[in-house]
Amino acid sequence: MSAVANRKPFDAGRAAYLALNLLLLAFLLVPIAIILVFALNPTPYISFPPVGVSLRWFVKFFEGDDFMRALWLSLWIAACVLVLSIVIGGACALALARGNLPGRAFLTAFFMSPLMLPAILTGLALFQAYLLAGIGRPVWGLIMAHTLVAVPYVLRTTLAVLHNFDRRIEEAAAVLGASPARVFFEVTLPLIRPGVFAGGVFAFIVSFDQFPVSLFLVVPKGETLPVVLFNYMKFDLDGAIAAASMVSILLALAVVVVLERLIGLKAYVKL
Amino acid sequence: MISRRRALQAGAGLAAAATFGAPAILHAETRTLKITTWGGKWGAIMKDTILPMFEKEHSCQVSADQAFPFLPKLQASPKNDPLYDVFHSNSNEQWSAVEQGLVMDKITVKEVPNVADVYPWAVSDKIVGVAIFTSAIGLGYRTDKGIAAPKSWKDLADPKLAGARGGYLIPVNSLGQCHLMMLGKVYGKGLQDLDAAYKALEQLKPIKLVDFTGQMEKMLLSGEVIEGVIHDSGVYRYEGANRQPVDFCSPSEGVMALEQVLNVTPGSKVKELAFAYIDFMLRPEVQKLLAEGVWYSPANKKVKLDAKYDAKLLTTPEKVATLIQPDWKWYNARKDDIDARVTKILKG
Repeated sequence: MSAVANRKPFDAGRAAYLALNLLLLAFLLVPIAIILVFALNPTPYISFPPVGVSLRWFVKFFEGDDFMRALWLSLWIAACVLVLSIVIGGACALALARGNLPGRAFLTAFFMSPLMLPAILTGLALFQAYLLAGIGRPVWGLIMAHTLVAVPYVLRTTLAVLHNFDRRIEEAAAVLGASPARVFFEVTLPLIRPGVFAGGVFAFIVSFDQFPVSLFLVVPKGETLPVVLFNYMKFDLDGAIAAASMVSILLALAVVVVLERLIGLKAYVKL
Repeated sequence: MISRRRALQAGAGLAAAATFGAPAILHAETRTLKITTWGGKWGAIMKDTILPMFEKEHSCQVSADQAFPFLPKLQASPKNDPLYDVFHSNSNEQWSAVEQGLVMDKITVKEVPNVADVYPWAVSDKIVGVAIFTSAIGLGYRTDKGIAAPKSWKDLADPKLAGARGGYLIPVNSLGQCHLMMLGKVYGKGLQDLDAAYKALEQLKPIKLVDFTGQMEKMLLSGEVIEGVIHDSGVYRYEGANRQPVDFCSPSEGVMALEQVLNVTPGSKVKELAFAYIDFMLRPEVQKLLAEGVWYSPANKKVKLDAKYDAKLLTTPEKVATLIQPDWKWYNARKDDIDARVTKILKG
């Protein structure tokens, strides 16, 4: 057979599909590339084209007490929110999917409602509620506020998994003598884990990047990274902002990679 | 009779109570002053030098909030237990605050003795509270782009600057609001001639708009803006080692005042400490430190700045006379209408 005969005919549809995918990838990745360029450009202002390569803004970011305090606080809060969201969101999803609760649709909408309200209003309302209750603005209040807006993500992804859940597997375990607790931990939980952890990833990122809810709830010397960056930008719009953004992106990526190692990317992708 | 063991146990108990209780007692005695303050270089000087000085002198703690927005947070907190004891903001926000009863209307010599030494602009009828510094709002420009140094506010309308002139999103930036009023004065009958201001604003298109002064600084530095509205501090701070091809012009029609104002909240539980803080901020040595650190013109007449600062900042009655203070009460009363109109003009 000749080489010409082996050559596949030009597939316009496939080419268009590939082009569209490349365009989408570019749309998602170009902003990150631009941030990287700004972070490495040594000029004391954000400009294009870059005049060189320097790590001075990363040094400024890592040497800045305010930046570091905010970074660790944001990470700590996001870790707490991740755990709380998984527990609360997972439990809510199970109750909604399995509980035969009256007004199930209403309850689902109720738990999803923090996503419908502008986050700035959620922050302002909680700020006033905390002050009226006389509890001030403690860190746990900020964690609860972030959890409030993060739970719907876990709820939604877990409900998606539970929707296609084959309950006969649980019944088989029960028939074979497993206690309800054992059925939950050894059958149900492993099967819904992808949904729960996928929601957890969202919860972590939503908390780590949370700005509007945090705006009213942070205290002096207890500001989260997005709030510190916003205030920094008002006075010093330099490459440290871009360096901080790169660090945030890499940290979010690290969390996704760690979770992928824990639960496996394939399970995650099944969603 | 008390046994030796019992006495020892009681003694140990008292010692433990004293040990663990002492910090709590100390904490209860340490007053906390809650203030708002700026970030950037100002914030660094405050945090590293000025606030520790004040804390040491008054045996107190200062909780300094640098996270905007200050006014909405103050509004949302109870009036009898406000979030801040001292509210630092620009003058426009002080006027909004006083109309809602969130701050005092005047700070006098009786409460703050150093008020006796301030320039009249710092306690004028255009000021709520007391101004501790001011910047001059004028025109910043590039010295390396082949344009003549501006002399008048009208120079910003030069057609050669189309697309390379800079202004602000007027609804959210007080420099933009000052510029609008100045357009009324330059092209019309006065600061309150809004029709003339709107017409002049139309002529400034195309214009690059920013939210914050920090952004305007960087746009000037990067050359994206060749000439723009900015305060002197935002240009002069690039003196010396950071020298950049930018300069500041005080237009012949006058410069607008961008005052840094301090005020006390009526519901403050530590009002005496709050007044002491304002008095401290008006001290000549504190004023000098901040004025030379961030290039702000001090309010205290007795401040002696080093020659290079003295040459450029508003430190004499003659130079102070070029300062125009906007009537924020008048402006705030019309703000919604003005916002709608300027947004319509500039959205294209």
